[in-house]
Amino acid sequence: MLLFRSEEHVTRWCKAWRMERGGILTLGQQWRLAKVWYGADRRDPTWQRKTPDEAEAIFAELGLTGPFWRLRPSA
Amino acid sequence: MTQSTDAFDRDVRRFVYDVVLRRGFPPTTAEAAAGLRATVDEVRACFARLAAGHILVLQSGAGEILMANPFSAVPTPFLVQFDDYACYGNCIWDAMGIVAMRGRDALIKTSCGDCGALMEVRIVTGALQSGEGVAHYALPARRWWDDIVFN
Repeated sequence: MLLFRSEEHVTRWCKAWRMERGGILTLGQQWRLAKVWYGADRRDPTWQRKTPDEAEAIFAELGLTGPFWRLRPSA
Repeated sequence: MTQSTDAFDRDVRRFVYDVVLRRGFPPTTAEAAAGLRATVDEVRACFARLAAGHILVLQSGAGEILMANPFSAVPTPFLVQFDDYACYGNCIWDAMGIVAMRGRDALIKTSCGDCGALMEVRIVTGALQSGEGVAHYALPARRWWDDIVFN
């Protein structure tokens, strides 16, 4: 996950590397995702990785929906 | 090691994150073995289990830690500067994740993935104070662990 100056720079980068355009987050969305994702203390013995359902719920709260943000293939 | 594998794995995880949060980069297998009064082989086997569980990412070959997410064991284009140390994130998500995990003010320095221009993101008292740009996720979520180093 790279940071770009703007969506135009993302478009240029995708074209240069022959990559399809992926998911775009504003810096504010990215900060909120970082806080939710890494907020729990991994030293805690009860800490566990997020399940796919939990992760998809976090994405959805940030407005990240659609096939790109699903963790499992569609049925 | 006389405890169960699960308990040992929890102790190793706690040790790894104790170290990485204190100094900004993860311990070696030798450091973890000394700190946990275990053998290097026991630690190496544990690191492999944690990597299989997507909790750590290991360097190829020696089995040392490459990523204790969100921290990187090696320099990357995502420098995170605190008042007590500087460290590296694996990507922009992880660089911000380090700041979130530590709960301290920080300045992230990276560059535009396209043009290479310096980009700075400042986080103060838990809020985004300055910075611009957008984060781009090249791979769909279900493929992130196919090649986590690229991603």
